[in-house]
Amino acid sequence: MSDTSANTEETGAAEKEVDTIDKFAELPDAPPKKGIKLSWVGKVSVAIVAAWVVVAFIGPWIAPFHEAEFIVDDSYVPSGGCPEMLEELFDLDEWTPDAITQYCTESDTILFLGSDYLGRDTFSRIIWGARTTIGISFVATLFAYFVGITLGIGAAVSGGWIDMVLSRFNESILSLPSIMLGLIAVAALGSTIPILIITAALIYATSVFRIARALGQDIMVQDFVEAAHARGEGLWWIITREVLPNAAMPLLTDFGLRLVFVILFISSLSFLGLGVQPPMADWGSMVRENMQGLGYGSYASIWPAVAIGTLTISINLIVDDISAKSGGSLAKKMV
Amino acid sequence: MTKKPEKTEVGYADLNGADKDLLHTALNRGASRREAIKMMAATGLSVAAAGTIVTSAKDAIAATPKKGGSVKMCPSLHGPDDRLIPAQFTSTVDYTRGRAHYNGLTQLNDDITPRPELAEEFSPNANATEWTFKLRKDVTFHDGSKFTADDVMYTMAQHYGDDSVSVVKTLVSEVKEWKKVGPYEVKAILESPNSDLATLMGEKQFKIMKEGSAEAYNADGTLPPGTGPFTLEDFQPGVRSRHVRNENYWREGANFDEIEVFAITDPVARVNALLSDDVDMVAQVDPKAVKQVESTDGAEIKSTPSSAYFGMCMMLDRGPGQNADFVKGMKFLHRRDKVVKSILKGQGTVGNDHPINQAFGPDFCSELPVRPYDPDQAKFHLDKSGITSAEVNVAEVSPGITDVCLMWQRECSKIGFDLQVKKVPTDGYWGAVWMQTPINVVAWNMRPTATIQLDIAFAPDAPWNDTYWKNERFGQLLQMARSETDPAKRHEIQCEMQTLAHDGSGMIIPAHNNVVDGHGSDIMGIPSLPLGILGGCEWPEFAWKA
Amino acid sequence: MGPMIFRRIVIGFITLWVVSVIVFFGLSILPGDAAAIQLGQAATEESLAALRAQLGLDRPAYIRYFTWLGGMATGDMGISNAGGATIASLIDFRLIKTLELGGIVAVISVPLSIFLGLAAAMYPGTWLDRILTFGTMSLVAVPEFLIATFLVLIFAVKLQWMPSIAYMSGGESLWEWLHALAMPILTLVIVVSAQMIRMTRAGILNVMNSPYIEMAILKGVARKRIILRHALFNAIGPIINVIALNLAYLVSGVVIVETIFAYSGLAKLMIDGVQTRDFPLVQACAMIFCGTYVLLLLTADIGAILSNPRLRKPK
Repeated sequence: MSDTSANTEETGAAEKEVDTIDKFAELPDAPPKKGIKLSWVGKVSVAIVAAWVVVAFIGPWIAPFHEAEFIVDDSYVPSGGCPEMLEELFDLDEWTPDAITQYCTESDTILFLGSDYLGRDTFSRIIWGARTTIGISFVATLFAYFVGITLGIGAAVSGGWIDMVLSRFNESILSLPSIMLGLIAVAALGSTIPILIITAALIYATSVFRIARALGQDIMVQDFVEAAHARGEGLWWIITREVLPNAAMPLLTDFGLRLVFVILFISSLSFLGLGVQPPMADWGSMVRENMQGLGYGSYASIWPAVAIGTLTISINLIVDDISAKSGGSLAKKMV
Repeated sequence: MTKKPEKTEVGYADLNGADKDLLHTALNRGASRREAIKMMAATGLSVAAAGTIVTSAKDAIAATPKKGGSVKMCPSLHGPDDRLIPAQFTSTVDYTRGRAHYNGLTQLNDDITPRPELAEEFSPNANATEWTFKLRKDVTFHDGSKFTADDVMYTMAQHYGDDSVSVVKTLVSEVKEWKKVGPYEVKAILESPNSDLATLMGEKQFKIMKEGSAEAYNADGTLPPGTGPFTLEDFQPGVRSRHVRNENYWREGANFDEIEVFAITDPVARVNALLSDDVDMVAQVDPKAVKQVESTDGAEIKSTPSSAYFGMCMMLDRGPGQNADFVKGMKFLHRRDKVVKSILKGQGTVGNDHPINQAFGPDFCSELPVRPYDPDQAKFHLDKSGITSAEVNVAEVSPGITDVCLMWQRECSKIGFDLQVKKVPTDGYWGAVWMQTPINVVAWNMRPTATIQLDIAFAPDAPWNDTYWKNERFGQLLQMARSETDPAKRHEIQCEMQTLAHDGSGMIIPAHNNVVDGHGSDIMGIPSLPLGILGGCEWPEFAWKA
Repeated sequence: MGPMIFRRIVIGFITLWVVSVIVFFGLSILPGDAAAIQLGQAATEESLAALRAQLGLDRPAYIRYFTWLGGMATGDMGISNAGGATIASLIDFRLIKTLELGGIVAVISVPLSIFLGLAAAMYPGTWLDRILTFGTMSLVAVPEFLIATFLVLIFAVKLQWMPSIAYMSGGESLWEWLHALAMPILTLVIVVSAQMIRMTRAGILNVMNSPYIEMAILKGVARKRIILRHALFNAIGPIINVIALNLAYLVSGVVIVETIFAYSGLAKLMIDGVQTRDFPLVQACAMIFCGTYVLLLLTADIGAILSNPRLRKPK
């Protein structure tokens, strides 16, 4: 996936003026603080994300099987199948829903979502994978934000040579395909989880850097900052009290998409045969490794995609909700 | 996914003439195997019997090829490093193009015996230290020039010297001199006896180039002319090549009017391209997809048993491999039949920790019992070794090798041994990981003879001895096997070598994989040479379209 | 605007140079070199040395870098370390292929995304908006290779309407050409549109919150008019920016689509280059990608200025 969302809020030098004019009327000294009230869509989304986070924490204890355990000898056993039925039915064509009911209702090893290409339990692997996927993507995204915002706002505030060097370096990384950078990093340093996190974080920090720098530059020339400057406030005060709070909302909007990109980035590495170390389950890699099953009508690669979808759509809906609510009061009247 | 056994009632020979004609017409029209079996089953035969009959019928039809048609063939890999100079061929896309474009001195039958090609006669002297090749006089290159002994001398010279970039240098290093005896006769003079030189000359890297054409190609990209059944119309490395039938071919020759060769690197996409009938032949079908292809009308699997193998190398000179008990114990932790069944989906044979299997016929030591899966013995040896953890570096050098390691890991954890599986990228693997880290993986294609297969990675002085197993006796036996022509004696020597490797080397070979390719039902006559994809890449001259 | 363009072009060249340095270091930390990769399993000490000498890999890395840089300055991209073909001959054909595919995807997806994004922004909170948001988010979240393979299974294998690969023998008519490209086009339109729709919607809604729009609303200007006349022009900067980045992605980032559809484009070529440690090839691709990126962003900024009258005269 590309980094294209990076610049929604990007405002080139030319647009600075516009924003200055736009916000002239507001002149806030600090951003308005409002309680967050979510719509029902938002509430459902929060519940889904919370559920996944819980699964990520307790997954290994609630999953029926270990992520690496081979339950059956056959690939792509359909949902609800069990080892018992395979002793009688050898052929794909024979794995009908009726046969499954017949052989598996009594069984105590039921594969709720069927088996994957190696005969492991897809359901258990999705539960185990929650930890890997959510863990890697959250940590990498947060890290990307930390690095991107620090350097971006740093560049905007300091300007001059520091800005020039950081920006050129940043542009260079941004202009190269992320999958190639990932390929080089992983091939040279190995695909351990820390390396994957750092690689993803640094690649996506470049987009955050762009947004943060643009916003920072934008805010730095605004009147309330100049006023604070005139009052004799220090640089640190200006950054923490004026710049960051004003940049928070646009950056939050970006967060949801950025998280998706990290998950997809790891899965596209698995397309090149890299990605997380087997037998560890990771949703994106599970989609990839079970692709052959699509030809047999197996859902083994669809379920992890659904898992990615529920998590990321929920997060983005929450973000939408928050940003809608924090907008101007008249925005609601438009609806 | 095992098939239930069924009895065969009648064979192809039992069919009456009318049924035979019907079947032939259907198959000639391009009916798929499945359709043909259905048709025969409708006459009251069992499915198994119908299957056998259809196979025989196809063989019968393959004997009478039809001219014409253009085909697309897709191997699994290509890139800017695609080659046209045989000495540098390293991938199946190169081999395939090479077969369409060039000829060798000899070519190989399906049972890996040599038959004349550019050399109309070849023979060794009494003790196989000198080989004479008498060349055909009626052969011309694609540019019209005549083929002579000079071209052979030129080609062979590419495999010698410090600046030679030939990848098969070591295979011919024992030929100390190539000698031009006459305009149509060359002689190879060997340092030590070798009864297999003519077979070796059938390998893909020994195709004959026109004198001086490699330099011209390197200098300004002039495509080197060959003598082969097709002329090269278009060659774009990493994109495709197009070959058109050579109307002036020196023998009966090619059936297709035109062939196009380009790779589809994604295994799922490659199979899909075959299933949607966008290409006619694909190489290396993932074992997991075999059933899918077989159940699709119009597409078929060609699976040739071979001695190609993948294995885990425990280096005997470093890490845990230095401990003999560790090596011994680890060899007991493999459910070999399960690897063949679950991972290769039946497209392979059980391995016995040495590189030879049934595909080499009498050279295979069938007396040697297959090492059992025995966790108790494994635990005993591993406990004795005092080693409790190890790390295997694995790159997907052969489909399924990572999965085999995961299975191995699972078996280890059952007896309390901690085996770490570390997946590393395939590119750079051969230089940085293989033969470097203490435990790694390897895959080898089948070689023309059992002796060469053992020589390449198990000989004490072999540059690719990938577990650093140095066994003097093995080296002596290898020398004996090279010059031994009596099959019974050779079997004895072979058996001793295979037993030595089975017991002593650090290789675990859980399985040998078949060569598994796919093709449209209307493609006939693909040879069954097991040395590579689609009949050892020999298909261009012999396959035809119904 | 002239000085601005000049300044940006100079900065662009600096960026190009930084990219070449990054690629140089990136490739040098990878295990193995072009000779080792090429010989692979068949390598011996002797043959490695011979091939290194033939490819000029026996010279120190920095000398190879400066030789390359010198060649580049005179427009000579060098010779591939992997196959010995000139880089220009490898790039030439694929660049056209990449531009063809990217161009046609852009022509379809850009208007479509802006239209759908506007529609969503015009009626925020309605079923139309919800469906679009939900739909685009679902598509953004699905790995590209799953979308592509799914489409192939349905349209090529099952229905047999379209070819499963975008392979062309040459000499195709326009219709055959479109037919062969249909599947990759469809996949890429889905992949890039999802994002552009979402960003267009976000960009417009962002502007809708600003005080002068509130003023217009208070004045009772019609909603449609506000969005088309006021909001769009003010949001166009960020939207054009996203479009530009998506176009850059179509040139450099579509390796998965190129792989699955066996389409010989630049993105796959660069990955091949990295995997074969083909230094001049990777550098050439990096230069093209970076150059495209710089030019597209510059065009986007110029476009933003031209389309928004208020940006034309600086304060």
